[in-house]
Amino acid sequence: MKTIGYAIGAVVGSLLLITGCQSDKVTPEGPLRNDLLKKTTGPAVVGDRIEFAYALGTVEGNLQNVRAEATIAGGAGTGFSRFSWFTNRNTGVDQPVQTATDTVTNGALSTARIIDSPTSNKAVTLRYFYYPTADAKGKDVSFRFSGTSSTGQEVSFQSPTYRISNMDMRRSLVLADGAKAYVSIADMAVYTKAEVEQNNLANKIDFVYIYRPTLGTGNFAFGHAIVAPSNPEYLKDVTLPTGLARTRTAIDKRVDVKDAQLRGTSGFDLYIDDIDLQQTTFPSAADYAFGFAADQGAFVKTADGAYNAYVYVNAVNNTARTMTISIKRLKVN
Amino acid sequence: MMKKSILIKLMSLLTVVGLLSCAEEPVDESGLLITGRSQCFMTFFDLLGSDHRTVLVSGQTVIDTTALTVKAVARFGTNMQRVKPYCSVVTDAIVEPNMGVWTDFTEPKQYTVVSGNRKVRKTYTITVTLQK
Repeated sequence: MKTIGYAIGAVVGSLLLITGCQSDKVTPEGPLRNDLLKKTTGPAVVGDRIEFAYALGTVEGNLQNVRAEATIAGGAGTGFSRFSWFTNRNTGVDQPVQTATDTVTNGALSTARIIDSPTSNKAVTLRYFYYPTADAKGKDVSFRFSGTSSTGQEVSFQSPTYRISNMDMRRSLVLADGAKAYVSIADMAVYTKAEVEQNNLANKIDFVYIYRPTLGTGNFAFGHAIVAPSNPEYLKDVTLPTGLARTRTAIDKRVDVKDAQLRGTSGFDLYIDDIDLQQTTFPSAADYAFGFAADQGAFVKTADGAYNAYVYVNAVNNTARTMTISIKRLKVN
Repeated sequence: MMKKSILIKLMSLLTVVGLLSCAEEPVDESGLLITGRSQCFMTFFDLLGSDHRTVLVSGQTVIDTTALTVKAVARFGTNMQRVKPYCSVVTDAIVEPNMGVWTDFTEPKQYTVVSGNRKVRKTYTITVTLQK
């Protein structure tokens, strides 16, 4: 009985070993190969770029040309970079090295010629930047990368499709208390009192920037604030532009939404995308937010319901009484 | 004969243990365990603003477990119409209605602490005043 058990065990074990070690068939690749990596992790927003790393390598001949064809032509700046990057082992810092030349973009087609040097003619990774245009908002874009070698071979790589965001983005608006303090989300701009009056913008102002170190009978900390024209409390010492519409903009403060694109620096992987502004709700939201510090912000809904936006605070300056903001907005109505 | 008797006793004991182990613990409609504890009081209260940070002035919150009141002071400028209450209660107790949702605290609100055995109920009145 015991012997039968051992025999079955041995047979099953052998079968498992045989089937487990069976390798899948590998299609032999040619001497010229390529691969693609999308380095940008955030949404494709007009005003920012998408970055790809396109890698080529050959074991026969030398690398010669690369091309990238987008389904929608990009804006100014679209094309291959002439530089590849390597990490300096002594310092740990990434350093550029020129590996391409003749980088040309004509419409949707970008091309480059790889420099015939020992550092680049066998294997290279080129950067390709794509700047979405306003015409492409809400559309899908994809890219076909290809490369050739001196032996006449060609390889290509088709990227997935990427949706261009419907959001608009504006970076680094400097607000100044008592001066450039009147912000229009519709215009994505900031105006002075005189500009509002002269250009008949009294109906377009969504919030006013003020800076008060303290406020209230107890001199409570207040700081940098954005206040909707409807608020009677915090704008009572401000001489508002003549005829300013007292619209009630919903303002909902956040301290943990550090959008990498609005921040404008690397090292953050948090992004506000279309869906965030579409789905943000403002139940019982205030018409003001105060005590802003750098990296904080507020979700904002314009009084006419046309736009949802996120106002990000890049920097504050108590001495100059200024606050630098960046805005992402989405038309929702 | 002796061996058989021991076996029967052992099997009977195992059956009783098995039956006891299968008995279901009582749970309430939220699936929370109903225990034997009758203690019923609140130990901590906090209120968060839209930025999910506390809006209460530190050291100003007083919980009176005899008068069943909570008195707290919110910082100047707090939007009292949109705050989120949180509290801690004695072990196994629950709070009705649920906290942790956006609530209008411009007027005093009442929350009931229910003991672990669900037999003792104490309704607290929470009053939050705003710095002006």
